[in-house]
Amino acid sequence: MLLEVKNLTKSFVVEGKKVVALEDINFSVDENEFLAIIGPSGCGKSTLLRIIAGLETPDSGYVLFHDNPILSPTPKITMVFQQFGLLPWKTVFENVELPLEIEGVDERERRKRSLFYINDVGLKGSENSYPHELSGGMKQRVGIARALTLEPEILLMDEPFSNLDVLTAETLRDEVLEIWHNKKNVTNTFIMVTHLIEEAVFMADRVIVLSCRPGRLIENIKINIPRPRKKHERHPEFFKACDKIRRLIV
Amino acid sequence: MKEYIKLFLALLFIFLLYAAIMHFIKNPEIQNLPYYTFRTLLRISITYIISLAVGVFCGILAATNKTASKILVPIFDIGQSIPILGYFPAAILFLVALFNGAEIGLELAAIFLLFTSMEWAIFFGVIGAVKSIPSNIVEAAKIFGLKGLDYIKHVVLPAITPALIAASTLAWGDGWFFMIASEYISYGGKSYALPGLGSYLAKAAYEYGDLNLAVVLLILITFIVVIINHFTWHKLTERASALGYKPIFKFPTPDKKIQKRAWLHFPKFYLRQKIIFPVKFGEYTKTQKIFTIAVISLLIFSFIFFFYHSIPTISAITKSLFVPELSQLPIYILLTMTRLTIAFVISLVIAIAMGILAAENNKFAMIFFPLYDIGQSIPILALFPIIFIYLSKIFGGTLGLEITAIIMLVADMIWYMFLNIVSAIKTIPKDTKEVSKLFGLKGWERIKHIILPAIIPAIVTGSILSWATGWNTVIFAEYMPYGKEVLSLSGLGSFLDRTAYEQGNTILLIFLLFIISSIVILMENLIWKKLLEKCEKYETVEV
Repeated sequence: MLLEVKNLTKSFVVEGKKVVALEDINFSVDENEFLAIIGPSGCGKSTLLRIIAGLETPDSGYVLFHDNPILSPTPKITMVFQQFGLLPWKTVFENVELPLEIEGVDERERRKRSLFYINDVGLKGSENSYPHELSGGMKQRVGIARALTLEPEILLMDEPFSNLDVLTAETLRDEVLEIWHNKKNVTNTFIMVTHLIEEAVFMADRVIVLSCRPGRLIENIKINIPRPRKKHERHPEFFKACDKIRRLIV
Repeated sequence: MKEYIKLFLALLFIFLLYAAIMHFIKNPEIQNLPYYTFRTLLRISITYIISLAVGVFCGILAATNKTASKILVPIFDIGQSIPILGYFPAAILFLVALFNGAEIGLELAAIFLLFTSMEWAIFFGVIGAVKSIPSNIVEAAKIFGLKGLDYIKHVVLPAITPALIAASTLAWGDGWFFMIASEYISYGGKSYALPGLGSYLAKAAYEYGDLNLAVVLLILITFIVVIINHFTWHKLTERASALGYKPIFKFPTPDKKIQKRAWLHFPKFYLRQKIIFPVKFGEYTKTQKIFTIAVISLLIFSFIFFFYHSIPTISAITKSLFVPELSQLPIYILLTMTRLTIAFVISLVIAIAMGILAAENNKFAMIFFPLYDIGQSIPILALFPIIFIYLSKIFGGTLGLEITAIIMLVADMIWYMFLNIVSAIKTIPKDTKEVSKLFGLKGWERIKHIILPAIIPAIVTGSILSWATGWNTVIFAEYMPYGKEVLSLSGLGSFLDRTAYEQGNTILLIFLLFIISSIVILMENLIWKKLLEKCEKYETVEV
């Protein structure tokens, strides 16, 4: 088992009132799996992802990674952000290279790996651009390349396509699936948070459905649509899965 | 034009200006003018570097560490709310007395006084900038293992650079503003002067009564400030914004040229606001409140202790406190409040009119912003004797001084109001403006239904800032050393000046400063906070 979430509970205090964001969450993730977490907005799915990333600590319960609890961020689990989280004062190359520099990787290896992943996400030629010169889609590609250079075992994505226009999002989804599928890449376990049902069903092997306040895990659905799914978007299974999830959260 | 040609021309111009002044002005000290300039520049630069180092270090520490924040923020908060006059006893006592009045002691006292006017902009600017680093960047940094010095080097320092430049501009300006006060210190009937442009200007006006010299010096200082600003801060600001840094705030204007200029000024105003309201006392945690009160008590106590070389007896305190003049205090407060209110109303009316003109009319703005640039660079305190000499000839001493004081106050108070209003008008949403066009609102109708309601919150915040700065200026505006005598207007400000300059009564000085801060806090709570709450329900312009 690569990752195991056990009896996870987390609450916040909002304006003096206690809000239970997550209540007794249990699930696990296997290697090579693409997992989607879905739920209405404000249901704590982002909090769940942040706990897995080690950015927040749960009130009770724990997340096990290779049977060890996660207490702080580790280079083995990285993240792609909704708002990209790029450093505006660094170029594409410098942004992608930074995690390696912090890890203490030597300069030649840093250069090689950064350029490889910049190429991998299709940004060859933009290495020296600053983020403000890039479109939203390109910014998110930088975010993905940066998360991949560390060659983590798990890649977390927090609504990675929701700040992009519809067409860009569609292209980027295919590319992310390709990266996930590509055996040349070390990283092949993806966990994505989303609020779009079709996106979850289109991309994931398994969809975890959360309810709202308190955030409970209400369903763990396996998506049995053959890949590549581009060909199967009108597959009856696709609509069946979407309808099922829609009934659960609406 | 190439930058270095511009720089060369500017230097040539300054050189010719110096040559002309030194040739035509007849004054025994005029040959020292270049030396005075050098000394003043050096003094302000050294103080700036100290302020920068302290501000960046403490600012980052306070913004990233909760314990440090609890201690540092109240200290700096108190520090910035004390008018420069409040630091005089400390400067004289510790530094001048320590070196037995030797020049090094005076120099250190001047640097200390300048520091108390330059430091706050940088400290609070840094805190504000660190705290406004977007959360997605902070999280990304955590995920990718950026900690400690790495985090400061790769995230914090680049992120605060634009704010640091803006704060530096402000601190630099404050340095020039308080140049006279720091180079020409008088306390308890003794005066100490250091070689420098500020003390020379003060001597020209107060001792020689040489109006021509004073005006020439004022113009010279203004040129120096404008040229330095142009070749340093303005360039840095432009570069920072061009380098892919996100601007810290948006300032939408239709005209590119104005936008560029506005960008240069808006940070000042933005920071001012942050500086004057960094942390409101009411929002302090309990420990912070206790700590603040403890720091204030300790400061007051140690001041008094060092001044009297022992714990003063109750009778000594009452003796210094209950001077016969104290019974006049309510009348003094009333008179000073009246002066401030008159100046405030005048500022308000002019600022609204100019604000609407500048925001609605691009041509006016094109002329106005450069004028504003120069206007902001003049040390207003230096204008004081010059305006007075002119007006006293027309209106006589007391009335002349009264009018001068109000002009001074207006000149100081109007900018905050004006900048607030312009930025509020500029940020009226486009669709609101289009709605007004669609329904044919024009002229007065447009002002009444669209613009005035939109700028009310800005007027309130502008008012708070105006009053805060007004209280600082009124201390100087009611008191006029002129030749051998002193002219003064009855009021809280002149009472404070007499207490410090003539009597050197530290206990009474602390008491009067306490009265002023109480009035400021009372007004904030009784008037401005209520008005701000009322405005909030509009949910209009985000400044």
